[in-house]
Amino acid sequence: MEMLNMNKELFDKSVKESEVPVLVEFWAPWCTYCRRIAPAMTKVISENQGNILIGQVNIDDEEELAELEKIEIIPTFVMYKNGKAIASIVAPESKAKIDEFITESLAK
Amino acid sequence: MEKNIIKEHIYDVIIVGGGPAGYTAALYAVRAGLDTVVLEKLSAGGQMAMTTQIDNYPGFENGVDGFDLGEKMQLGAERFGAKTELVEVNSYGLSGEIKKVSTSEGEFLGKTVIIATGAKPRELEVHKEKELVGRGVNYCAACDGMAYKGKTVAVIGGGNSAVGDALILSRIAKKVIIVHRRDSLRATKVYNDILNNTSNIEFMWNSQVSELIAEDKLKAIKLKDTHTGEEVLLEVDGIFVSVGRKPETENLDSIVNLDKAGYIVAGEDTKTNVKGVFAAGDVRTKALRQIITAAADGAIAAHYAEEYLVEGK
Repeated sequence: MEMLNMNKELFDKSVKESEVPVLVEFWAPWCTYCRRIAPAMTKVISENQGNILIGQVNIDDEEELAELEKIEIIPTFVMYKNGKAIASIVAPESKAKIDEFITESLAK
Repeated sequence: MEKNIIKEHIYDVIIVGGGPAGYTAALYAVRAGLDTVVLEKLSAGGQMAMTTQIDNYPGFENGVDGFDLGEKMQLGAERFGAKTELVEVNSYGLSGEIKKVSTSEGEFLGKTVIIATGAKPRELEVHKEKELVGRGVNYCAACDGMAYKGKTVAVIGGGNSAVGDALILSRIAKKVIIVHRRDSLRATKVYNDILNNTSNIEFMWNSQVSELIAEDKLKAIKLKDTHTGEEVLLEVDGIFVSVGRKPETENLDSIVNLDKAGYIVAGEDTKTNVKGVFAAGDVRTKALRQIITAAADGAIAAHYAEEYLVEGK
């Protein structure tokens, strides 16, 4: 399953209006580590259907958004709940770490 | 999500790690008719997946992207029926006839286990280091050195591999600066003469990298004097971090024999001290850690796993 690509407009709308928490990966095409995470994300998306909304923001295309969200390092994953960022993780080293991050941030 | 469930299924071969050793072992095992699963924590390829241009794996006249090569090895093994599970291994129980591998998504049971967890370069642990990998921050001179033809690079480290990297780079780059936190090299003496006769290698002693300065890519590094604390700026096009490597064997201590540096003690037959348990690739004690030697280990490990399953030895 492909990740939902978010521009600023879609990002704003999703974070503000989504009934479920939104997990956003900030990434860029040149980021070799982001590429390594992609196969795990495919599985994470299918395991979290309906539970959370998952999307990604290309920080090269969305510089202003990346700056607003204070993204300094990529890949950074941010969990948004009720329109607010509630947790983030930088460069998780395994699918298990991504799962753990989702479980822990949803429990907040 | 199903978690912590004991999987009743007993595999012939459990392979831990989806790099070139793991997926070559999987290819050979599955083609020998063995029921095979690969446990990988993130995605195929391992260390090579962080290198975009591999020129020392034969068969690719224009080189090959490491991530792509990893995926191809995975698909090649899966074509014959190997399975992949994206799980992280927490602990091992390998002494019995049925071996147990405990993971983030339950326990896997197998008659044999091939450990191919690899090694990783030690990092500097400086802010933005991970983000700048491939954009000025490198860990392998033989892999990524060619991108710095006619440029200025720094090698961080003072051991044999750092000096080896500096010598490789000195033939490519305009200038190579060895940055070392002590006032002399730990490298073997034979290197001294060679280094002294290499005109484009310079040294920055008693220096530690304190900051990476980058826009879209690395532009300079800040070095802190280990005695005075004074900082200087060094403009470079790239750095090669060579402060050692560490095997991924954290949860194998007292499960299989490890050497002092943490590598699994196993010979060219990949057999560990535990029956039915094999070590393939960078994680094993060996002289040359390359993609091709890892792949070779994978084939050998699968062969001896098959022999063990047939003959019980």
